[in-house]
Amino acid sequence: MTAEPGPEDRPPELVPLNAVFATDFVQILVPVTTANTMAEVAAAVAYHVEGKRVRALPYEKVVIYQGERLPAEMTVAAAGIKPLDHIAVEYDIPERS
Amino acid sequence: MALLKREEWQGFVRDVDWSYSYVDDEAVYPEWHSGTGKVPREAWLAWEESYKVSYPEYVATQREKEAAAYAVKAALQRSSVWEGLDEGWKSATKMHFGGVSLSEYAAVLAELKMARFGLNGAWRNMAVFGQLDELRHTSITTFFGHEFISRDPQYDWTQKAFQTNDWVAISLRNLFDAMMSSANVVDIALQLPLVFETGFTNLQFVALAADALASGDVNFANMISSIQTDEARHSQQGGPTLEILVEYDPVRAQWVVDKTFWASARALAALTGTSMDYYTPLEHRKQSYREFMEEWIIDQFVRTVEQYGLKKPWYWDEFLQGLDIWHHALHMGLWVWRPTIWWRPMAAVSRDERAWLAEKYPNWEKVFGDKWDVIIDNVNAGHVPATLPETLPWLCSTCHLPCCNATQSRGGTWRVRDFPLSYDGRTYHFCTKACRQIFWKDRANVNHLTLVDRFLAGQIQPMDVGGILGYMGLTPDVMGDDPDYQAWTRDYAGRPAEGLASTAAAQP
Repeated sequence: MTAEPGPEDRPPELVPLNAVFATDFVQILVPVTTANTMAEVAAAVAYHVEGKRVRALPYEKVVIYQGERLPAEMTVAAAGIKPLDHIAVEYDIPERS
Repeated sequence: MALLKREEWQGFVRDVDWSYSYVDDEAVYPEWHSGTGKVPREAWLAWEESYKVSYPEYVATQREKEAAAYAVKAALQRSSVWEGLDEGWKSATKMHFGGVSLSEYAAVLAELKMARFGLNGAWRNMAVFGQLDELRHTSITTFFGHEFISRDPQYDWTQKAFQTNDWVAISLRNLFDAMMSSANVVDIALQLPLVFETGFTNLQFVALAADALASGDVNFANMISSIQTDEARHSQQGGPTLEILVEYDPVRAQWVVDKTFWASARALAALTGTSMDYYTPLEHRKQSYREFMEEWIIDQFVRTVEQYGLKKPWYWDEFLQGLDIWHHALHMGLWVWRPTIWWRPMAAVSRDERAWLAEKYPNWEKVFGDKWDVIIDNVNAGHVPATLPETLPWLCSTCHLPCCNATQSRGGTWRVRDFPLSYDGRTYHFCTKACRQIFWKDRANVNHLTLVDRFLAGQIQPMDVGGILGYMGLTPDVMGDDPDYQAWTRDYAGRPAEGLASTAAAQP
């Protein structure tokens, strides 16, 4: 007897997102899949903006969804991000001590 | 037989009406077209325009206007004025021709609807003159733009733009369909003559006429000034209609005026804001867009609504904050997505131009300067492709313009924030709080698919940049590009530049 398949067991599904990168001036359409990690999602959003309109900074990038920072290894499916949801991607700039 | 004096016949002629004996009044003036709502039918008997005109007077005046406009055009047709015009200014005119010519035709239909379903004979009479005006505006705008097609194929979009699925055209059709086509005539009288024509046409027709003259485009200035002289007469259909509606249904009057002012302000930020503050050459700019809005639109609008006993719209603070943001962001959007438009947008961010922008808009450098600096450094590094888009901007479900309005947090940071709405099983996004509110209240009416919606629904094939450009009707000879990258990047050539997409520093 096997366990019921979870969302992570399904084939990846397309998840088009409304995304904004850091200080960029506009929200953009960025397609990802349910299997993508937050690190991959951040990179997919950054691809359209970083170094093109927003100067690239030497910091990790984090995905912010519904006001929460999501772990880099978490997948879109596990985060519960749905098609047409909004995400922001920000640089993880260390606080000045 | 002696002719009657004007005052002896005009009172009767301007207000011909009669009672129906074979059909009900409702059959002739059905609610869904005439829209009397809570206003008693007999209340419309009080409708009276302030400036009265007869048909012979109308024809004589219009004939003179037409003769004058076409005489100037004929004289200039043989000159080389057009060749000497700045590319930025030409872009302002291409945007105008494409955005306005068939909007004028939509206004013909709106005036005809009022001429048929208006609830008073004088109103219907005035609307007949209004539709003749709008037909003249359609003809003159289409004809003046047509002249330049042989010199530049982008002018072909004078007639073509409105019939394509270009995202700018979709946005304008969405605005004007709601304002002029789908509404009942009471709402149309508030939306088109009152809010749009007494207010916003000043922006495109008065402000731009001044910039046109300064830029040396006498023909264009002549054309739009000729059009504007008609507006004062037919726009007076708004006042008497609002006066009666306010008395019986002030809530409806306030809502119709508020939503139309907002929708018009969004569209004109894209159309006029960019033309005034970027496309018009710096040395020819008369006023900033913000200054013109304050002088010609805001003061007048507030006076008008207060005069009729209405309040300032609920979104007033958000609107005033937008005067420093909207058109700058839309300019950047039109520039970045330049292959999707039918003109050549000049970035216009040289040092001198930026100094002017910073003087007129103290937050400009903080909100927009950093992005333009990265774009400039990419151009100077020879990486123009890095400045071109590979995806779509997210388009607002109400105004269909990009969601690109940064707001400042209490901590001082500027970010483009999300204004979502879950409705009917899906998530919508809006550029502003007011666009979201208007969608919610008007959701049965203003609910068209944006270009992004169409793309995600699979209506655009193939689902790539080529497919999108084809869907929008753009061909390589027409797609926009910056006419002169050097003009606005040379001031910054040779400066050190880090963090560009093309350098290793881009990767952490």
